[in-house]
Amino acid sequence: MAAKKRQKNLGKLVVNGTLFLIILIWTIPTLGVLISSFRIRDDIATSGWWRVLPYRDWQAVKEIDPKQAGLDPNGVMQVEGVSGTFEEFRAGVSTPDGKQITWIGNKRIGKIEVQEQVWTVDWNFTLDNYKQVLGGQDFKFTKPDGTIQIIPGDNMSGAFLNSLAVSIPATVIPILIAAFAAYAFAWMKFPGRRAMFIVVIALLVVPLQIALVPILRDYKALHLNGTFLAIWLAHTGFGLALAIYLLYNYISGLPRDILESAFIDGASHFTVFTRLVLPLSVPALASFAIFQFLWVWNDYLVALIFLGGNPEFELVTQRMAAIVGSRGSEWHLLTAGAFVSMLLPLLVFFSMQRFFVRGLLAGSVKG
Amino acid sequence: MKKTMWQVFALLIITAMLLTACGTPAATEAPAMTEAPAVTEAPAMTEAPAMAEVSFDYPAGGALEAAIRGDYKGTTVTVDGAFEGNDPDGVKFAESMKAFEEATGITVNYIGNKEFEGSIAIRVGAGDAPDIVDFPQPGLFANFVRKGNVVPVTTFMSDEWLSQQYNAGWREFNTVDGVESGVMHRYSGKSLVWYPKKAWDEAGYQVPETWDELLALTQQIADDGDTAWCIGIESGAATGWVATDWTEDMMLRTTSLENYDAWVAGTLPFDSPEVRKAVETWSEVWFNDAYVNGGRSSIVSTAFGDSPKPMFENPPKCWLHRQANFITSFFPEGTVYGEDYGFFYLPPVDPAYGKPFLVAGDLIAMFNDRPEVRALMEYFTTPQSVSGWLEGGGAIAAQQTATQDMYGSDLDWNVSQLVAGATSFRFDGSDLMPGEVGAGSFWEHISSYVAGSEDLDTALKAIDASWPK
Repeated sequence: MAAKKRQKNLGKLVVNGTLFLIILIWTIPTLGVLISSFRIRDDIATSGWWRVLPYRDWQAVKEIDPKQAGLDPNGVMQVEGVSGTFEEFRAGVSTPDGKQITWIGNKRIGKIEVQEQVWTVDWNFTLDNYKQVLGGQDFKFTKPDGTIQIIPGDNMSGAFLNSLAVSIPATVIPILIAAFAAYAFAWMKFPGRRAMFIVVIALLVVPLQIALVPILRDYKALHLNGTFLAIWLAHTGFGLALAIYLLYNYISGLPRDILESAFIDGASHFTVFTRLVLPLSVPALASFAIFQFLWVWNDYLVALIFLGGNPEFELVTQRMAAIVGSRGSEWHLLTAGAFVSMLLPLLVFFSMQRFFVRGLLAGSVKG
Repeated sequence: MKKTMWQVFALLIITAMLLTACGTPAATEAPAMTEAPAVTEAPAMTEAPAMAEVSFDYPAGGALEAAIRGDYKGTTVTVDGAFEGNDPDGVKFAESMKAFEEATGITVNYIGNKEFEGSIAIRVGAGDAPDIVDFPQPGLFANFVRKGNVVPVTTFMSDEWLSQQYNAGWREFNTVDGVESGVMHRYSGKSLVWYPKKAWDEAGYQVPETWDELLALTQQIADDGDTAWCIGIESGAATGWVATDWTEDMMLRTTSLENYDAWVAGTLPFDSPEVRKAVETWSEVWFNDAYVNGGRSSIVSTAFGDSPKPMFENPPKCWLHRQANFITSFFPEGTVYGEDYGFFYLPPVDPAYGKPFLVAGDLIAMFNDRPEVRALMEYFTTPQSVSGWLEGGGAIAAQQTATQDMYGSDLDWNVSQLVAGATSFRFDGSDLMPGEVGAGSFWEHISSYVAGSEDLDTALKAIDASWPK
């Protein structure tokens, strides 16, 4: 009995331990980016984020000028009781009392340091990265008359609002249409139902890139380019296939008895859909909403093509691309940028995650 | 039975969809210009109108003159390009356009983005071409010219005006198949070597005037215990472009301009004694572990923007870095030209080929022919249209009428003087080659060569094989 219990506990420990390890491995890069986002630019470029943890480093306790000490770097030198060549001192020579003698620099302008190993941390934290991401960078212009003019760059708020204006309708519209379609495919009898459904499912494998040029041509004819309506419709079209498939799986699995009794009581399809099917499929709707929202929020390509014509409609993803500079010299700002752009999707995910898990399961176990 | 039938049907449909998806998209025919080139002549004024005072020159009788008169007030011109509208270049562009917008009342609408190479093809393919495009690669520009999408500038600008604004050499860059199709706008000089000035002066090193002196200096620094060069070629998908720049610089220095042009045009193969010699000249420095910070093996894995940073450590870990003048934006914050760093001209190897200079820059092309678009094109031939970059730093005006007081920094002015003093200059060759080579196999195989996974023979032959027939 006791042995069995111990075995059970051991099993639990192994499972929990493995899970903890996986979580740790998964979150360490994120943690690294988070810490980096508070470090100063030159630190990010020259050392790893783990330098915020205590580490042992050699620090100078005494400096010696080789010229004053009359040392010849081309021969064997005697420093603080140890001897060595220039190359040996460059690599560091240990003294018997645990110190290290190191030649810093080259033979011409070098100096000798007596170093001791001490515990140290790099805690030069700054909010500057966030300030530049949220508030915009400043650009300096020296005018011909010698005056200096500072022009502030765009801040993030416009891009945030634009991204919301794209993401929310581009999530709601496909869900609405897909729910109607899924209900029709699942519960209404009409000729060609199966063939149509197969065509819709087959559309899942079509990459959206092949549709860019034809759609852009149509938009040009309809004068839709660079409007919000254009990108809502594009995202709706690209998202519909998956939406219908997911929602069909769920809605077709609703108990037949409930719907049939409603029909017997004289309910129309519309009543059944709005009063019964929609409330019952909230988990599936929510899980698809998360999918679609995350995809639209993180989308760069579709927005670039259909919205890129209008600079006022810049999205968060485009803002992130702009912030690193034309040649990527400001890439350190991406650390802060990643967390700022992550905020909203995280919020959406956590507020809807209990539906998410249920929704995914719900579609999968129908038999 | 019925079920299997449906399954077969479903499979067929899915296969059909996959085939459609994977198949090469049908070649989209080059769309004819959607806007009919409405060449509305500015109404002839009977009396000479009082012209507003403007800060830039303009050709007499052109669209820009009419625009300053206010003929096109309230119209909008759309410009596309390879930088984002609000990154540093975008802000500089907006700043450069202010004088034009104020003088004419025309709005300049910039819509560029970093995926420009792809999105411009989609946009033009869909018949939704922007009015004006800022091309960073003449090769891509030439593609559109040959397809007939670009309106040549000679149709509305006089030769007299263009030769007043541009040195003849610059006008060759925007000439495709004998037709001058665009205008050069701004550029950066590439044949430059940067050094940490403070430590340099302290150590007493001298700026070399010849390649042999540069090699002697490299050896001198090695003897003093340091590695001379900071080299890194990692640049994401574009890894290798730094090595192609070195190759171009060495081509200019070890062989004739005719050979350079033939090489860029594809008639002189990579697998030729000339190209081989150019690559071997820089390999002498790159592949000596005593000359390169981190040794040869670190070159491929070091980001090009991070590679000069050891120069600014105290004391410097490396002393020389060859790169275009834009590299200063990667230097540590607070470093100042003339105090913390300086630059010199990458010296000639063979005096027989003079003092050549490698440059790269942007040229401007017109896609839709409307009078207000012509006016902006004319504005682009003035140095004031580069004022944002001149005042904010980072690029040099291609127009020869630019004067020193327009430059906000000595650095850019000094580079422009170096270029003006060069005996010849050529555009970055990899930007002129077809995309498959200049932005593909050249980068890829030269990187393999630097990493040591391919020898020079294999690499050069592989690049030749990738040249589109």
